[in-house]
Amino acid sequence: MEEWEEYEYKPKSVKEIFVEMKNTAEFMVDLAYSSVLFGEKELAEEVIELEEYLDMLNYHLMVHAVLAARSPKEAEQITSILHMAHSIDDISNAAADLAKMILEEVELHPIIKQVILESEEVIGRFIVTPDSILVGKTLEELKLASNTGVWILAVRRGKRWLFDPDGDFKILAGDVLIGRGTQTSIDYLKEIARGVIKVIGNE
Amino acid sequence: MSELEEIKSCLIEMKDISSLMVDLAFSSVMYNSEDIAEEVYLLEERMDELTLKVKKLALKAAKEEEKPTKLLSIIEMASINEAISDAAYKIADLVLRDVEPHPIIQRIMEDTEEELGRITVRKGSVLIGQTLKQLKLPSKIGTRIIAIKRGTRYIYNPGKDDTIEEGDVLIAVGSDLDRLRELAGEEVEEE
Repeated sequence: MEEWEEYEYKPKSVKEIFVEMKNTAEFMVDLAYSSVLFGEKELAEEVIELEEYLDMLNYHLMVHAVLAARSPKEAEQITSILHMAHSIDDISNAAADLAKMILEEVELHPIIKQVILESEEVIGRFIVTPDSILVGKTLEELKLASNTGVWILAVRRGKRWLFDPDGDFKILAGDVLIGRGTQTSIDYLKEIARGVIKVIGNE
Repeated sequence: MSELEEIKSCLIEMKDISSLMVDLAFSSVMYNSEDIAEEVYLLEERMDELTLKVKKLALKAAKEEEKPTKLLSIIEMASINEAISDAAYKIADLVLRDVEPHPIIQRIMEDTEEELGRITVRKGSVLIGQTLKQLKLPSKIGTRIIAIKRGTRYIYNPGKDDTIEEGDVLIAVGSDLDRLRELAGEEVEEE
């Protein structure tokens, strides 16, 4: 047992894995809704791929759990981890089912898109024009999420997609951004991307 | 209201509820909050009602639709939201069950210095009638409002222009929620 105690399998802390799992599950649902709203198969495919990533995170959580068990009682408690892993898997499966509606070309009732557009957290698509102040800046420099209230889920550049871009992602003219936020914040970023509003974050 | 309009408003509520449930379920575990886990439980009940309602309405609407098969996508969407909420409920259930969770889950719970809770806005509270923008709760008392429950409806991720009303239940996270409890007019036990 001593040997195992020393072997520290720590790609990330348990907490970090858990937070990452939460974010990934939520991201998958958002991305799935985006794919349905815009009929974009690439977005749907990414949702399916994220399932594998979530499986990997689940696996890391299990490794932590097994290594942490030091008594039969703790080993029994492992059911709570399995329980949680299973539930997170259910969420990702639901997101994948949503994405499959697009991949399998299910005939969508027009209500579906209206629902996505009228819920509290909506999804918007922004085409960055050359005049926009976004051009040439990174998400970090712009503090886009806090300044506009829009969280960028994915970016299409030409035919390529980038998912869940990080802070040093630089926006170029012609980029198509897909983001989540409230209706007001979505409208605001649309104007900025179009080049109508020339300042960002007035607070 | 026509059946389709009714379906639409149900589905919108379901979509909002399922995202809120996922957020609250994970948070209830991270902050080991039974209050919030209970909130997830209540939302789950509402979700079940809505799911059944949408399915019934879709069947009724099928009579008048030119292509009734299109309504399948509506039933599918309702089921997907129900599946998400069931999963969220199971996660929150870890907090509600008497069974002691695995040390790993306890470790997730322990190293957080913040608290997540429900606070009811009482009559006469200074918060009433103020917008979140006016209140500046994050900078003034280090508290962030995740959702506002008003009657049976929830305002998820409330914005700057949302106003607090008497009777609202605030779902908030912060290092010291007692300050918010005082402002909301709840009685705070002196330590």
